[in-house]
Amino acid sequence: MEIRIQGVSKYYVSGGKTIKALDNVNLTIPANHIFTLLGPSGCGKTTLLRCIVGLETPDAGEISIGGEVVWSKERNIAVPTEKRGLGMVFQTYAIWPHMNVFDNVAYPLQIRNTPKDVIRERVAKTLAFVHLEGFEKRPATKLSGGQQQRVALARALVAEPKVILFDEPLSNLDAKLREETRKELRSFLNELKITAVYVTHDRVEALALSDTIAVMREGQIIEMNVPKKIYFDAQHRFVADFIGRANLVKATVRGQEGGYTMVDCELGTIACERRDIPAGSEATLCIRPEFIRIGRGEGGGRNVVNGRIETLIFVGEAYEVEIRVGGELLLAKIDSDADLEEGSAVNFSLEPAHCLLLSI
Amino acid sequence: MAQTQAKTKLTLSLILIVGVLTVGPIVMLLFGSFSKGLSAFGSFTLDKYIEAYTDPAFYEVIANTVIFVLGSSIMATVLALFLAYLNNRTDIPMKFMFRVISIIPMMIPHLLFAVSWALLLNPSNGMMNIALRNVFGLEDAPFDIYSLPGMVLVEGLLDMPVAYLIIAPAMASFDVALEESSRVFGAGTWRTLIRVTLPVLRPAILASFILGLVRGLASFAVPSVLGMPGRVNVLSTYLYQMVATGFAPDYGKAAAVGMSVLAASVTLIVVYRALTAESEKYVTIAGRGYRPTAIELKAAKYPLFAAMALLSFILIVLPVAVLFYTSLVPYSMVPSARAFSLMSWKHWIEVLEDPISLLSLKNSLFLGVAGATLGVALSIFVAYVIVKVKTRASGVLESLSFLSFSFPGIVIGVGFMWFFVQTPLYATIWALLIGYIATYMPYGIRPLASAFIQVHSHLEESSLVCGASPLTTMRRIIIPLLIPGIVSAWILLASMFVRELTLSVVLSRPGTEVLAVQILRFADDGLWGRLSALGIIMILISTALVVLATLIGGKLKAVEAGG
Repeated sequence: MEIRIQGVSKYYVSGGKTIKALDNVNLTIPANHIFTLLGPSGCGKTTLLRCIVGLETPDAGEISIGGEVVWSKERNIAVPTEKRGLGMVFQTYAIWPHMNVFDNVAYPLQIRNTPKDVIRERVAKTLAFVHLEGFEKRPATKLSGGQQQRVALARALVAEPKVILFDEPLSNLDAKLREETRKELRSFLNELKITAVYVTHDRVEALALSDTIAVMREGQIIEMNVPKKIYFDAQHRFVADFIGRANLVKATVRGQEGGYTMVDCELGTIACERRDIPAGSEATLCIRPEFIRIGRGEGGGRNVVNGRIETLIFVGEAYEVEIRVGGELLLAKIDSDADLEEGSAVNFSLEPAHCLLLSI
Repeated sequence: MAQTQAKTKLTLSLILIVGVLTVGPIVMLLFGSFSKGLSAFGSFTLDKYIEAYTDPAFYEVIANTVIFVLGSSIMATVLALFLAYLNNRTDIPMKFMFRVISIIPMMIPHLLFAVSWALLLNPSNGMMNIALRNVFGLEDAPFDIYSLPGMVLVEGLLDMPVAYLIIAPAMASFDVALEESSRVFGAGTWRTLIRVTLPVLRPAILASFILGLVRGLASFAVPSVLGMPGRVNVLSTYLYQMVATGFAPDYGKAAAVGMSVLAASVTLIVVYRALTAESEKYVTIAGRGYRPTAIELKAAKYPLFAAMALLSFILIVLPVAVLFYTSLVPYSMVPSARAFSLMSWKHWIEVLEDPISLLSLKNSLFLGVAGATLGVALSIFVAYVIVKVKTRASGVLESLSFLSFSFPGIVIGVGFMWFFVQTPLYATIWALLIGYIATYMPYGIRPLASAFIQVHSHLEESSLVCGASPLTTMRRIIIPLLIPGIVSAWILLASMFVRELTLSVVLSRPGTEVLAVQILRFADDGLWGRLSALGIIMILISTALVVLATLIGGKLKAVEAGG
């Protein structure tokens, strides 16, 4: 089901000041899409999710799910949470400690007065889906973090909602388990025909799981696109910086030349992916560390820059190198078998396709 | 939204109810202190203040009170500090004894603990005094418990468990790295203790000391049993004598004196709250992971263990044994072959045939059951608003509901007296019921507030998302999670109401006697045998309730740990 959000705002008053948790958000989440709201803490992403599910009331705007208006300020519509028929996985999982796994998962069906034998069958099927066969009788308090997470998912899925919401569901797991669960979640969601709205502040999670990412800041959605576009081709400096490690270099646009936009900066004159920015204006050049390719003297090609290795840190799968070029210090990620030394002069080339120009 | 409106309405009506219950008696006390008399309420005069504060006896009472309160609180705190250190930081054997010492004494009502000491050490026929006189051939009794030092000793022992419960957790969460670094920089064990350990624990130590002062100020059981026979009056007994003895009880003068007692107590509680907030701050800073290395006591191990064993004997075994023994022998005598041959159930039979004792038993049980039920019902709503509705009004409610924590029973009893006299509730059991709930409300709210905190809002919200209505959510999620808290709050209140003394001595009238008042009356009349029999019955009831509370509390913790 499609989710449509129009002009939704939400204000908090704190210490005499009004804080805009959501500032006129307009958004359409297509049906059967994995949609991620990404942003730093306090950007309003959880508030937006809670407005969709009905646990928060916006101060303005309209929200509709699958064509049905569930909240509207003007038309005075407010469908309560329990009537919206959604599924949700909470950050704390919210597994009820006084029930066992079966009762936790069966709860949404019991509420809908489903016959007992159907409940038993559906719970067994859902638990099998999340790889928790045979856990029915286990008390909820005797589950590990990963198991609780899967019970929460099973509970959200069991009534076969058309929309499922995730509020940072992986943030309470340790790093290794988080990675495994992320992969599992991806395959679960791919198997289901379901609209998923996923809230996270973890960029890797967002990139790995989503069909579409919306990056939020200060209550507004500032950019929305598919993961690759967000990573390689962001429009905003904030987005480029937030979605991955980036070298951000001040630059002045010189003009368009042969399909590239040429800029002047501390690195010299650099050919960048074409952007329609007028000549003479200020811009930011964004270069991801993994695309700084250190040459071995062969030179040639475009965008060759000379610098000096200032620090060299071995982090296992790679070297993290800081290269001094004039007043700029660039971070580069180099294969760990490279033969480099601190203090030595290097030259590196930059593929114009990976030289991202940001107007803001 | 309708929901927000309902919550505001609930908060405001609770503020009204709790306000009437807690601020009401204070206002009445204030008006009463300016009135000419109980029947002349509203005609204002300053006479009562002049009379009360120019009485030379008043200043002697103040001096006694200061010594009693300071002495008992210092004793309780030092003892508790010593025990907490032994338990947490040394290799003393049988550590489970510390839990016993900190919990069991709460089952023995203060009144009976004081009585057992009077039976042992009173100057005329105290058992221990007689025994010592016989052994050493002394002319006079070597000890007189009817004195200020005697009162300090007994009150100090009674307040020790509470002090321990404040200091021990602070000691347990103490980050040993602080001490270890002091050792690394060259300070020895003693220097480290003085320069690092005690200063870091200072908020907890001060908090326990101040709570000791509040409890000492409010204490009536010890001063009435041990102070009044030797004419050593402190403020609580001074007030009691004004309203309960003599031909003309003077509630106005009592109110005038009570105002300063109340002011002192409220001030101390404000300081106490500030300190506990600070000590929590200290605790959260503390690191974790390393268990403190136990200090080897070596040669001191067994003497210290013996001291601790003696203390637990004095606190737990001795009072019950003395009372039980006294309930069986015909009159006060040292245990001997003759005493054992004279033992009988005479006093027990007398008590069980005494109509007033039976009435008091019935009244106390009624107050315990009805009072705890109503008190818990009120506490559920108050705790809900305090924990889940976070508005400025709910903050007001929290402060209001905590206020009665600082009420000295006698003083607030006088305040209630001024109130009830204007109503048909005067001299009925309902007056006691209302007074109990108002005074002991914080003890009902505390376990319920922590139960509500345990119910994370996500547990509630996720039920709504699953399609359950708010009512179903209440029935299937919230109430089941609260039950352990509800049960332990009920039992805590019931066990406190069954043995309530200080408020009852002011509010109880013929026909509304309660157990503790009847026991005090037996003490006044020197009927020690009957007193002991009735006392043992009271201990049995309240022990049964405390044991239940502990069991359920343990179950509650298990749920918390799992969730």
